[in-house]
Amino acid sequence: MISFLVLLGIVVCFSAILALALNFQWGLGGMVNFGLAGFYTLGAYTCALLILKGGANTLVATLGAMAIVAAACALTALVTLRVTEEDYFAIVTLGVGEMLRLVALNEDWLTKGALGLSGIPRPLDHLIPHDVYVYFLLGLSLALLLGTLWVLNVLARSPFGRIVRALREDDVVAATLGKNVLWARVRVFAIGGAFIGLAGALHAFYYQYIDPTQFTNIVIAYAFMAVIAGGRGAHAGAIWGAAVVMVLLEGSRFLKDVIPWLDSDRLAAIRIIIIGVGLILLLVFRPQGFLREHRLQVDLVTATMRNR
Amino acid sequence: MLQTAFNGLISGVIMTLPALAVTLLFGVLKFPNFAVGAMMTVAAYLAFALNAQLGWSLIAATAVVAIGFGVVCILIDQLTFKPLRGRSAITLMVASLGLGFILENLARFAYGNTARSFAIELARPFRFLDVRMNHEQMITFAISTAAMIAMWLLLTRSPVGRAMRAVADNPQLALVRGIDAERIIRWTWFITGMLLAVGGVLIGMDRALEPPMGSNYLVSVFGAAILGGLGSPLGAFAGALLIGVASELSTLVMPPNYRIGIPLAAIALVLVFRPQGLFGQPYIRK
Repeated sequence: MISFLVLLGIVVCFSAILALALNFQWGLGGMVNFGLAGFYTLGAYTCALLILKGGANTLVATLGAMAIVAAACALTALVTLRVTEEDYFAIVTLGVGEMLRLVALNEDWLTKGALGLSGIPRPLDHLIPHDVYVYFLLGLSLALLLGTLWVLNVLARSPFGRIVRALREDDVVAATLGKNVLWARVRVFAIGGAFIGLAGALHAFYYQYIDPTQFTNIVIAYAFMAVIAGGRGAHAGAIWGAAVVMVLLEGSRFLKDVIPWLDSDRLAAIRIIIIGVGLILLLVFRPQGFLREHRLQVDLVTATMRNR
Repeated sequence: MLQTAFNGLISGVIMTLPALAVTLLFGVLKFPNFAVGAMMTVAAYLAFALNAQLGWSLIAATAVVAIGFGVVCILIDQLTFKPLRGRSAITLMVASLGLGFILENLARFAYGNTARSFAIELARPFRFLDVRMNHEQMITFAISTAAMIAMWLLLTRSPVGRAMRAVADNPQLALVRGIDAERIIRWTWFITGMLLAVGGVLIGMDRALEPPMGSNYLVSVFGAAILGGLGSPLGAFAGALLIGVASELSTLVMPPNYRIGIPLAAIALVLVFRPQGLFGQPYIRK
């Protein structure tokens, strides 16, 4: 049981990083990324390929994955945002995500197609004794999660973060004030992309085997649900949301033992239906989520004192 | 090559119905609805239930499912999109994505992942000018053309159609003229539901019935609607045919698995050179 909880904890960590990345792109930046599954695939495969075919160690592979996904997101944003608006951006990201997944599935010479890539080593696994390794991995994942949270938080509260929030609310006003809308948006999307890459790399390390079927659109559903439940723009909320969603999903594996006539296909289908219903209910009844975005507040007394 | 172009034509013709559904929904409801793929899937499976499991003829099954699904879509709208009326396009898009997941997985839950097909008689394809055409393709062509003509008549000649176009063009002005937006939305969903039901059956005839069958077409259908101009029915028709033919012809020069690149490229080109599409009206965002 303990080892199941530890493994669940690791999964929650990289799912939370993915949710934080989406929260950064969408909650903070207002850019819907329906291609999340594709970029996540790109991150996982880049990391795995850098190790298996490039002979890199896990750290370099992780950084490589982050860089590649950031570049891919930057390119997508650059090409699309120049000419378009929200609705079209969502459709284009959906298409880009699909293309990335198709490449993973079809380019056998690179990705081994449907067979997937196996034997992905985990970070430092030759240095740490086997029986305590999972605890190390959990600790590492938690550290990375906290690191991601810290970086994104610092960015969100920085002047850059304020510009991005202003753009999200009304880009025309921001433009008239001389802010470079396109460049800021590309940067937001790219930074989010870097963390999608990080989540993808952790995914590869955790499962040690990746194939295209792991990256279906359900990944998008989980991440969106986590972000919406947590409250768009609220970082802590995204983590809570990811934790709740993942616990519900992984926990529902036990349903199979309780309800015997459910086979695994049906169980998978039910889980996705629950996610879909949950998503719609959230949007209808609690669109602001359960936690609020950090707003700068100046305490009234201080303000009056200063103005004197 | 002629065979490929013909296959592309049929593929395009199949897409005209969902493309028209997308463009109508966008015109009246103002957001891209990502559930349309899964809706086609569910309708196709309903027809499968009547046809292969209860022994009805496919024509009868399709007719009944079309009307039934029109009603189902109205119900879906009441439950899902009506509480979200007036919200931002992104909220509606995400909701439609969620709805798509629900519908697709209801089909998967009921029928599993194995591919099924309709119970129709096998018939020899016939050849014309070196192009092989089978009966299903002929029927598809006939039904789609009939549906297009019916839609055109509906939109231009009937009061409901005019009201739909009015609400799509300027909802406040339509309200001033006494057109009740909710009633028109219900009609739009009914008509869209019928279009999606027939479209789903046509896809099921052309390929097999499996849970992702409708969503596989999502990017292509949206590409077609955007190429033609979101909100323009004629555009949906033209866009679908163009995307269909272009996608099939592209397999002559590209690996077929990347066919999805064609609608993407079309969207990109449209957005750069002519954002309102071929037949749409240029609009000014306030």
